[in-house]
Amino acid sequence: MSQANVVVTPEPNVLVETSHDLPLVAVSVALRMGALEDPPDAEGSVRLLGRLMRRSAGGRSAEANDALIEGMGAALGADVTQSTVSFHGSVITRSLDRFGEFLIDALARPALPEDELARLKRETFAELMETLDDDRSLARRWFRKTIFAGHPYGRSAGGTKAGIEHATLDGLRALYRRLVVPENLVIALAGDVTPERAARFATDLASALQRGERLVDRTPEPTVRPGRHLVVVDKPERTQTQIIIGGLGSHAADPDHFALSVANTAFGGTFTARLMHEVRVKRGWSYGAYSSLPFDRRRQAFSMWTFPKASDAAACITLELEMLEKLRRDGLTKSELSWAKRYLIRSHAFAIDTAAKRVGLKLDSTLYDLPAGYFENYTENLRAVTLEQANQALRERLSDENLLVTLVGTEAVVGKDVREAIPRLASSDVVRYDAE
Amino acid sequence: MASNRAARLAQLNAKALEWGTVTHVETVPFGGRLKIERFRLKNGLELLTCEDRSAPVVAYHTWFRVGSRHEREGKTGLAHLFEHLMFNEVEGRASGEFDRLLEEAGAESNASTWLDWTQYNIAIPKEKLGLVIGLEAERMSRLVLREPQVTSEKEVVANERRFRVDDDVEGAVSELLWATAFDRHAYRWPTIGWMKDIEGFTTDDCAEFYRTYYAPNNATVIVTGDYNEASLLERIAAAYGKIPPSTLPVENYQAEPPQTSERRREVKKPTPTEKLAIGYHAPALGDFDHLSLSLLVDVLFGGRASRMHQNLVRKQELAADVRASVGPFRDPGLFEVFASARDGHRAEELLVAIDQELSRARQEPISEEEIERARARTELGLIAGLETAEGKASTIGFYETVLGRPAAAFERLDAIRRLGPSDLLRAARRYFSDDSRSIIFVRAELAGAAQKAAE
Repeated sequence: MSQANVVVTPEPNVLVETSHDLPLVAVSVALRMGALEDPPDAEGSVRLLGRLMRRSAGGRSAEANDALIEGMGAALGADVTQSTVSFHGSVITRSLDRFGEFLIDALARPALPEDELARLKRETFAELMETLDDDRSLARRWFRKTIFAGHPYGRSAGGTKAGIEHATLDGLRALYRRLVVPENLVIALAGDVTPERAARFATDLASALQRGERLVDRTPEPTVRPGRHLVVVDKPERTQTQIIIGGLGSHAADPDHFALSVANTAFGGTFTARLMHEVRVKRGWSYGAYSSLPFDRRRQAFSMWTFPKASDAAACITLELEMLEKLRRDGLTKSELSWAKRYLIRSHAFAIDTAAKRVGLKLDSTLYDLPAGYFENYTENLRAVTLEQANQALRERLSDENLLVTLVGTEAVVGKDVREAIPRLASSDVVRYDAE
Repeated sequence: MASNRAARLAQLNAKALEWGTVTHVETVPFGGRLKIERFRLKNGLELLTCEDRSAPVVAYHTWFRVGSRHEREGKTGLAHLFEHLMFNEVEGRASGEFDRLLEEAGAESNASTWLDWTQYNIAIPKEKLGLVIGLEAERMSRLVLREPQVTSEKEVVANERRFRVDDDVEGAVSELLWATAFDRHAYRWPTIGWMKDIEGFTTDDCAEFYRTYYAPNNATVIVTGDYNEASLLERIAAAYGKIPPSTLPVENYQAEPPQTSERRREVKKPTPTEKLAIGYHAPALGDFDHLSLSLLVDVLFGGRASRMHQNLVRKQELAADVRASVGPFRDPGLFEVFASARDGHRAEELLVAIDQELSRARQEPISEEEIERARARTELGLIAGLETAEGKASTIGFYETVLGRPAAAFERLDAIRRLGPSDLLRAARRYFSDDSRSIIFVRAELAGAAQKAAE
């Protein structure tokens, strides 16, 4: 049975929840800063650093480290977002001590060798090439790049070919010295581990690191260009299109954040929400149709995602724009609001049904500087949302005029119809799918 | 405990509906801590329960023993289309009400179809379990199939096919690989179906399929999580006890003749780099060799420490990605390899490098250290998959439906601990045969496009 979350030490922060249900421990060692620290001309540097740390842990070769991790019955990834770096994985309990030692080797004793960096850069070039096969990720990439143009959120945490080429070992070592210090760490363990064992690991890790300064996120709030804009990502032989339409969205500290979350759920957050009903159920145009409202330390984008066949793309965009206009103008109905609240409150059970998930929410709270009690009071905050608040949030936070439409498709097939389908279109660009 | 259950069942059965008599069949250990209880209703419905009160939630799965293997030429994709239709409308309820009620209750629901089965899964807060039982029993017996829902859902499936196959290089290549490797067995067509077949389905096709396969004696219900057994059995008996069994057709099984020579196909795709797919005929999930081959394939392809990753991705730098899997099917399927070449390299180079490693595996025993690593990966994968009620239900449902043994995941883990270099060498020599493989070479229509654009 589980014990309550315990914050063992303030620095580094350690979050732990014990559950002996399975002989498994989930471990995360996260840094409070991520790709926002990439040098301006070396996009992707922080990700390179995270991967290089894992590969050269303890001064061993990447081959030896891969064999070591897999041999102990563990999995370990190094993920980088704009705001965080996370070394996270899971391990069979019998190997927990060895896994902890490995993590300390990766965080505190990485060799960061030149030859492995060169190999990693070549691998990354190949991976970037592979992403060109994935139309959905292409759509997401161009949407973010364009909606946040000129802002750090428009850059790619995974990097670009030019950015990776510019990354140097000296640059990565400087990043390491700034980022990987006890003051930036948040550690989370869940599962078959005691608080005492977790605290010992955290202390060992912190004492193996050089002290430094806690980094402060000075990213400005993003803004968007006024007007309706279109980017067609031109790719040959597409029978289908990937469409993302959106603008600025929510911030977790907004007083109407929960109201907007409820409204988004009713509009496009589930299988029976408005968007899915109109696009998929009534018209059969797209296998999926969702809207989303993610959070970060600064305001993120609200977006709608559909993927109709090429001949339905223009009509689908028209429909989505009309639905967004109607949503802002008329708001939700009372029954939609109460239904969405019930869904969010009750389904929260699945966000907290394992120790690892519960600790994961606390980790997110800490890493993203969420308002105090964000998850602890989550269901109460949802319950308190009124129809007036939800509809007010829709009108104030979402725009149907300052929008970006991003479409991956074959320009010669869909371009003309799509441009005609967007009233008051302020600008239209066509970019090659491999232009980055 | 057993006598309490017997007394409760006697009481329950005394007032049972025509098909609702419940029998307790067996208790099966599930890992070290949990156990599975098997019950059977008079109408043939199997019920497997696994109590775990670590979270106040329940997973409710219904696995039907019908998949794309039960279709015929010209009607491929019907099992998958049907999976979609099962969410539409039941008698006495409005279209869409099924999903609406579930979401309002906080449920997460989905479904999937593959070669041998179709499964429906719902995870729900425990206090709403009664709702799920009622809804699932309703759609097993009172589904409404009519226009315009069938036509609309066909269009949705066509769009799913465009997403997963037509505009997806790997999806398209996998489909071609199976169609090339199989001549007679029903595994030769894709689960999602050929586009012309999807477009051609009628409401009558769907109704016939429903009457034939969606019956209690063709299904297993799995319930895992935090529930009260007595209350659960009472509700199940009441909900499903009205549904009669059906007469299941004899499957028109066609054995796949042995493949005696290598088959090669070449396709052009709008992709910037060449790809390679290889399919070797492989044993069925229930075959002892499946374990040996799976462990061997993990040594060769699983994870970053595997031979193929180390050789093709790191040392020779030929591939951006290389991976493989052994199909988990009732009948012999494929051991599938997929590799993506780096810019400037050819699929043939990947084939040479892969062949060298497969040849080595045929000639030299695998080291104990590599086998131990693959065992550890397998163990981690199994344990990690059991964290949630949903994960437990999936594991139980899958092995029950394909092998008839709900705890077979643990049996396989025990068996894998006993496998050694001889077993893996035997698997390599038996299954890595050039004559029994099919190869798809993918030519990159967009190769060098980025450079041309830059120039």
